Amino acid sequence: MRHLSDGTLRRIYDEPLALAAADQAHFDGCGDCKVRFEAIANDARATTALLGVPAFEPQAASALATARARITRDEAARPPRWYERWLNQASPRWRPMATPAVAVLLAAALLTGVAVTGVAQSLVRIFEPHSVTAVQVSPSDFTGTSAVLDYGAVKWLPDAPKLQQLTDASAAQAQSGLPVLTPASLPRGVSGPVSYGVVSHATGSLTFDAARLQASAARAGVHVSPMPSSINGSTLVVNAGPALIEVWGLSADAGQAQVPTLVIAQTRIPTVDSSGATTTQLEDYLLSQPGVPPEIEAQIKAIKDPSTTLPIPIPKGLATSQPVQVNGVQGLMIKAVLGAGVVWVKDGVIYAVGGQLTPDQVLAIATTLH
Amino acid sequence: MLHAQAWQPIVTRTPLGAINQRVVDPFDRLFLQEYPKVVAIAYRVLADRPAAEDVAQEVFLKFHRSFSPDSERASGWLHSAAVHSALNVIRGERRRAQRETAHALDPAQPLIANPERLVEEAEQRREVRRALSRLPQRTAALLMLRHSGLSYAEVATALGIKVGNVGTLLRRAEEALRKEVNRATPE
Repeated sequence: MRHLSDGTLRRIYDEPLALAAADQAHFDGCGDCKVRFEAIANDARATTALLGVPAFEPQAASALATARARITRDEAARPPRWYERWLNQASPRWRPMATPAVAVLLAAALLTGVAVTGVAQSLVRIFEPHSVTAVQVSPSDFTGTSAVLDYGAVKWLPDAPKLQQLTDASAAQAQSGLPVLTPASLPRGVSGPVSYGVVSHATGSLTFDAARLQASAARAGVHVSPMPSSINGSTLVVNAGPALIEVWGLSADAGQAQVPTLVIAQTRIPTVDSSGATTTQLEDYLLSQPGVPPEIEAQIKAIKDPSTTLPIPIPKGLATSQPVQVNGVQGLMIKAVLGAGVVWVKDGVIYAVGGQLTPDQVLAIATTLH
Repeated sequence: MLHAQAWQPIVTRTPLGAINQRVVDPFDRLFLQEYPKVVAIAYRVLADRPAAEDVAQEVFLKFHRSFSPDSERASGWLHSAAVHSALNVIRGERRRAQRETAHALDPAQPLIANPERLVEEAEQRREVRRALSRLPQRTAALLMLRHSGLSYAEVATALGIKVGNVGTLLRRAEEALRKEVNRATPE
């Protein structure tokens, strides 16, 4: 047998247990390799000594406090992104909807994906929307809930989805893989330039963990229903995106508060696969969590087929909704004081068109997109 | 030839199980788990505690801006960023000598009977770091990751190389460092 390489001998010095059995047998019986090993070990020890530094004990907790303070400062100093300006300006009273109870419901609805090693064989598709339905929510219902609960380990493959802002239509099309849609004509008051937002495709998984949830609830000082054994340990695999958003009416001046005049958005339908828990089990459990108002619980439970229906939150008192025919499918027309919007699902894509427009104008745009 | 100083372990790690049970936020958990290694890598390169702590802060802030703490690649990215950021500091730095002298005389340090020896050791560390800064970046990075206590598997992940190649590359890197140090300080 050939003598062991310098690299193998160097590793024996650091990690003797990593040696393969055949190499170990050779080393035990080879005087030459032992002599070379001694020389290599001496060099390694000399290098270790050369690179020596005085001891100190890292203070991770205080370093984390410093990092957190920097993050808070940086976040406060960061100019708002265009979609944040839009949300703040267009719908200040909708913001409470971002509170966790609803976030959990929406996350369950919007999680989407790819097979995850190990669970791929046993996954069952539990959510793939083919239609939309309105769920009325009252912003005031959520003002008292601010607890952030940790339901389990979340992984993204490879990374969490990111939103990228672009000004070029062909770049947006190339990045998203979705066609840039253009209305046949623009209503009065809507004009360029158009901003594009592209959200990358992402696959994520959430593995429910009862102990983690209890710990986060205890930390937040809220009571949560115990996680049923049918859910604990189950993994949801979510496939979402890509999404392409086209926005008219934003000026280049970042400091100026702005409301878009027209938004056209499209995304491939998200899907959720489960390694165990069923749609009904998840729905029952998540709806029993703190902060979910009984009215919303009743509306979601009334959805006939929750595995194929995407709930669209409609803020009560601020907007109304009604079914409407769009491009050969049934969609949802939403009317608000500020404007109107229409949402529909067709051929595996969710479309939304909205803006400071009348329902007729929105429908005219939606039906002439090309 | 410089005389060698005995190597001392520099890191006391908190058991990961204790962190997992106590900390809910994924970024905080990652920070508490990885900070000792990240700062140890930067410190091994810089031999300067405040500078190493600065590098570790920047590495974690950059990570926070760009990645999910649940990413499977988080640890490898942090280790790689720590060693490259620290190496970039010694390559570009001109003020480190003053800082290290100040650190050597830091009253918070334990009293040492022989201050001359302390200054001599500080000078030796500076000499070694100057030699390190002249090595190819990849060679220096591999050397410092291993000598910061990372396993061969962790070194391979951080640098995107095969575990089986770490020993060979490490051996070459150590030879290169010694040659560079000897060249700079002839007998």
